[in-house]
Amino acid sequence: MSLLKPFSKLPGLNTANILLVENQEQLQHMLADVLVKETPLTVTVRLAKSLPLPVDESRPRIDLVVFIINLTSELSFQSAEDSLKYLDPGYFLGKVCFMVTNARHASVPTERLDALRRLAASLHCPLLFAEDQTPEGVIGAAERLLTILKVSAGVVPMTTALYLSNLTRCTLPPDIDQPSFD
Amino acid sequence: MDESATRLLQRIVRRTPTEKLKATLEKWDRLTAAQRRSVDFTEPKWALIEKLVDACKENEFKMKHITELEMILVIENPNQGMWYTFQLVDPEDDAQSVDLLQFQEQFKSHLRELKRNVSVKIKKHTDQAVWIRIAWGDSFSRPNHLKPTYVVHQLQSPYIFVSSLTSKLKPLLLQALTFSTRHLAIKDANLSGRKLTAIRDLLMKEYQQVFPTKYPSPLAENNQTLSNLNIEREHAEASANRHRMAGEAFGDGTLPELQFAVYKMETKFKDPTNVAMTERDEPFRCVVKFSSTNLLESLRHCAASGLASTPVTPLLSSIPLKGRNYFVITDNAPGAASRAQQPQI
Amino acid sequence: MAASLNSSESDRSSLGGQSASSRSNNRSLRVAEKERRRNEAEDPFVLALKYFSVVEAGTPVVGNDDFENNLVLVERTAYSQGLSPEAISIMLEFAMSLRMGTAPCARVLKCLIPASVVPQEAVVRAAVWLSVGKIPISTQVLFIKWVLTVFDMIDAKDQLRAIYGFIFSFVTEENLCPFICHLLYLLTQKESVRVYRVRKLLELQSKLGRQPFLLHLLSLYKVFCPELVTLSIPSRMRGAFRNHVSPWKAALTAVQKRNGSLAGSSVSPALAVRDKSGSRKRKHCHLQLPALTSVASDGARSEQTSSRTLVPLAHLQSFDQLLKNVHRIELPAQMGSLLGSSVALQYLDCIQDESALLRLNFWLGCALHEEFLFCGDGATQTSEALQFLSRLLSAQHFLQEGFSSSDAFLYKFLNVWDGSLLRPQILCLLSNIPVIPSSQIRKLLFEPLTQLFFTSSLFFKCGLVECLNNMLLKWLTWHSVYALEDDLDISLNSHTSLNITLSGFKDSVMELIHFVGHLASVGLQLEGCHALLLSFVLDFYETVCDTFLKFGLPLVVMPPAGVFYPAFFATDPVSVDRLAHIMHRYKVNLTSAKRQEKQKEQAFHISRQTFQEFNHCVVFMVNCLWNSRMFYPGSDVQPGEELLLGSGVPRYWASFDFIHHPAFVSYALDFHQKCWPSRKEMDLSSIKDSKPWSWYLDYLFSQGFDGLKDFLKSNISRQAAAVDEQQR
Repeated sequence: MSLLKPFSKLPGLNTANILLVENQEQLQHMLADVLVKETPLTVTVRLAKSLPLPVDESRPRIDLVVFIINLTSELSFQSAEDSLKYLDPGYFLGKVCFMVTNARHASVPTERLDALRRLAASLHCPLLFAEDQTPEGVIGAAERLLTILKVSAGVVPMTTALYLSNLTRCTLPPDIDQPSFD
Repeated sequence: MDESATRLLQRIVRRTPTEKLKATLEKWDRLTAAQRRSVDFTEPKWALIEKLVDACKENEFKMKHITELEMILVIENPNQGMWYTFQLVDPEDDAQSVDLLQFQEQFKSHLRELKRNVSVKIKKHTDQAVWIRIAWGDSFSRPNHLKPTYVVHQLQSPYIFVSSLTSKLKPLLLQALTFSTRHLAIKDANLSGRKLTAIRDLLMKEYQQVFPTKYPSPLAENNQTLSNLNIEREHAEASANRHRMAGEAFGDGTLPELQFAVYKMETKFKDPTNVAMTERDEPFRCVVKFSSTNLLESLRHCAASGLASTPVTPLLSSIPLKGRNYFVITDNAPGAASRAQQPQI
Repeated sequence: MAASLNSSESDRSSLGGQSASSRSNNRSLRVAEKERRRNEAEDPFVLALKYFSVVEAGTPVVGNDDFENNLVLVERTAYSQGLSPEAISIMLEFAMSLRMGTAPCARVLKCLIPASVVPQEAVVRAAVWLSVGKIPISTQVLFIKWVLTVFDMIDAKDQLRAIYGFIFSFVTEENLCPFICHLLYLLTQKESVRVYRVRKLLELQSKLGRQPFLLHLLSLYKVFCPELVTLSIPSRMRGAFRNHVSPWKAALTAVQKRNGSLAGSSVSPALAVRDKSGSRKRKHCHLQLPALTSVASDGARSEQTSSRTLVPLAHLQSFDQLLKNVHRIELPAQMGSLLGSSVALQYLDCIQDESALLRLNFWLGCALHEEFLFCGDGATQTSEALQFLSRLLSAQHFLQEGFSSSDAFLYKFLNVWDGSLLRPQILCLLSNIPVIPSSQIRKLLFEPLTQLFFTSSLFFKCGLVECLNNMLLKWLTWHSVYALEDDLDISLNSHTSLNITLSGFKDSVMELIHFVGHLASVGLQLEGCHALLLSFVLDFYETVCDTFLKFGLPLVVMPPAGVFYPAFFATDPVSVDRLAHIMHRYKVNLTSAKRQEKQKEQAFHISRQTFQEFNHCVVFMVNCLWNSRMFYPGSDVQPGEELLLGSGVPRYWASFDFIHHPAFVSYALDFHQKCWPSRKEMDLSSIKDSKPWSWYLDYLFSQGFDGLKDFLKSNISRQAAAVDEQQR
């Protein structure tokens, strides 16, 4: 069991490593299959159920950690929350993001989404929503992860992970249940 | 054909999907070819019913003909209604030599002794099982054919499956069954479900099981997820472990479809902060019911995906192991872990 | 007090109902008589009806063969071809009056399948019997369910609305309550919302708990009279009225199918009504019955039609018919059906019927929320959702404005959107959003959009910039149409009284432009100044640069450096040309604004800083392109001399003039070859001589670079060949 560190290893040439953490181990497989198809850049995907990861010296430097949370499951949220403490604080400078599924499901208590938003906002992380029911939704989600991954792996000139996360980090939810202008 | 037979026929036809009806009528083989041809299955149900009733009246069918039709339907669709299981114990010496004829005679005579006005129909199905249809009456009324009890038994096997039996009639039926199979006693097997085949498979262990081995690594070809080199599973070992243990508890292939499992707890309430509850003499009673369209499959998935802790707790694994889905949990001895024991319905 | 009011009202209406009942009873008798005489053959069905209309009270049912035979006759007709309006009146009257006891009541109700329409009088009369007779509760429920099922076939609803209070009094009956609530929901108009009714419902709610049917009715009340219902309605409500397991549905569809094939044309508008709100089918399926009222009913009804009869919208097929009947339009029970018919939309547009719009908005809000925000287990049927949204879009397009409920929905949806689900539709809906006050715009729009923009692909970025461009265009158009010279208030929406002041509007527009400027500059940086994104950004600034002249809004906002420089240094000549065009339009706008300001001493004022920014850009462009003076005092970038020399670039100051700019160098080469075909050695700087220079410019302009042409014309006097920068 080890604390994951963002800068303990050197980056590989033209490679990006992404770690998908999902308690239910469903969407991560679908995402991984799409992510590795990216051609100009070699993307290696590592899948985990939760953190901490087992000790493995050969593990490359992880450029982006994604927590996948199924909002209909309390367990999924809790597991992600528990895993967070096994990340080096350096990761929170733009190398962590949350991906939420089932946010539009009727059985989701609003409090859970609010709690997740608060969590993401307090960690200055982006909160992405994904539609995991359809193949198009999975591809779309993978594309968005790639966009972030490329930046955090340092292959996009003129930007850094910290710069991007400053633009995309989650903000606290507005109370827009009934927007009124008067 | 009297009125009750007509009503039974009407109900049978109404409850059977039209597409099934055609095959069933052919199997029944009571209507003449011309009559069968005249039935138009595209018509609405009420017209169909009228036509069939007319045809049966024409042939002067009796109740026994109609019950025959019903039996065919039930045998063809065994996965309806709620089936309960009983287990025969203490066989007598000649229990192994009971044959169908003997059983048939014995059962009928035993039952008639116990209860008047009972109509019994016994049919041997191709898969060795004996199907018994019992319509109950009492001393003053004729058998009620609209609420028959069905019993399924394979001769020389210890299990008996029963559906729609009232508690009042249960002792009578069980006694008749015990005597006619040459056993001394019968007990509740604590297994019930909507699918007769599933219950039978579970009891007869007719599903793919996995036996614990000393060499836990799964065979190489079993691991077909030969995925991309760039995808690495950090917890692959743990997950394989979970899958193996789930398989050991529940088997690897398709599982018999159970609909629920009930745990009745009569344990002592233990919570040092809650003195009032802990010091009560009365046991703390609670019922836990798991239900699903395929309970065993769900449990296996829970264990394999890590939702339920592994190794699988004996409370769950004893469903397939002991072949039952009703448990009463009591405190065994102070300090000892609670265990399933003394199941009873 | 509420109760006493209620009861008095119900007394009155029940009295009225009874007199009406006896009257129409006579009439139905007459009708039956006439019918009989016409069919000399003594149709047994007519005889059967006659039996039920004259049968005396207290006649026994058991062992009554006459009764049995006649009823079977009626049932057969009902199931095969449906009952005529007269037959429905007679049978309903027979059943509800309990003339032969309660036993046949349910059986008769079950066979009441209308062939065309249901006469309103019959329903009213039957409703009155509810309180008079001793009808068992289950039969009462059955009756209300029947009314709900055939609601769209009742020929008029005015009398039903008139006994609203009477019907309302049944909500206290616990078993009837869900069904009564549904019926009230369908009947409610603005006038029917009263304080005592709200109070009654709230009282019921405290007794029964937050039942969805009560909440739904209350929320409708709240829509009509927000001041009366202070209760906060949860935004997530599901399946309020689940009473559609009606025994008539199958028979009704069968009868309709049979009748529909006879009068083919009459079904088509009804069918159109049905599929337009496709996604609602599952929940309100019983309301989706194609109204077979249309053609078949007209003849039958004409004799009893008085001036008060309302015409259902579904019957109108052309604008002409709409004009003729515009004073007596009956809105359909299912407001969603308005969305798909152009006649209905025309009606909405010209009548300004507030209650219709309120109801439509209410329905739309619920529908959008249920379908897209609180979905059930099955994933949203994308084809169905697609169809639904395109209906909505075409309706909005037709009305030229959005619905407030769809706006409210979007603000929430953006917060959980993945950026790809139904992207074209959502972006299109988004561009229809009316002006948002600048205090809210950040929270509602910009924050969710920023996150989506920067984490999504290039194509999403382009799509969003285009969408925001359309939004800006719509806002500006709205302003130019609705803003009056002397009235600085702009109505946000033609149907609401929400107003925004001109300065408020300007603030919002400015916020939007700055927001897009921010997105564009960072987006271009992230995407490596992608030409596609740049093109969409320039589209946006083509709108922005003309706000004053085209839309009369005294507001000029310059593009940020992050947009200006990438466009200027772009390697494709089209971008540079479009930038030049945009700068030219800025100049035209600014000069005319300046002129107007001087002339009229008006309140508006374009800040000094805008002029400075503009001049700064123009000077840079002219210095680079024309004067070959890339680095000059006062420019944004001033690297040291040694650094520039050290870079080893020859004649670095001329790198971006018309000849050496990467976008134009190929033109320069081409020109060189054409001009001096015999020359072996390429010497581009020879174009700089005054004669070839003007030829070269003409050559460039002949290639279609009109933007550059306009830019040069307005900024450079050719003779002096010097920068005209002292104009302001």
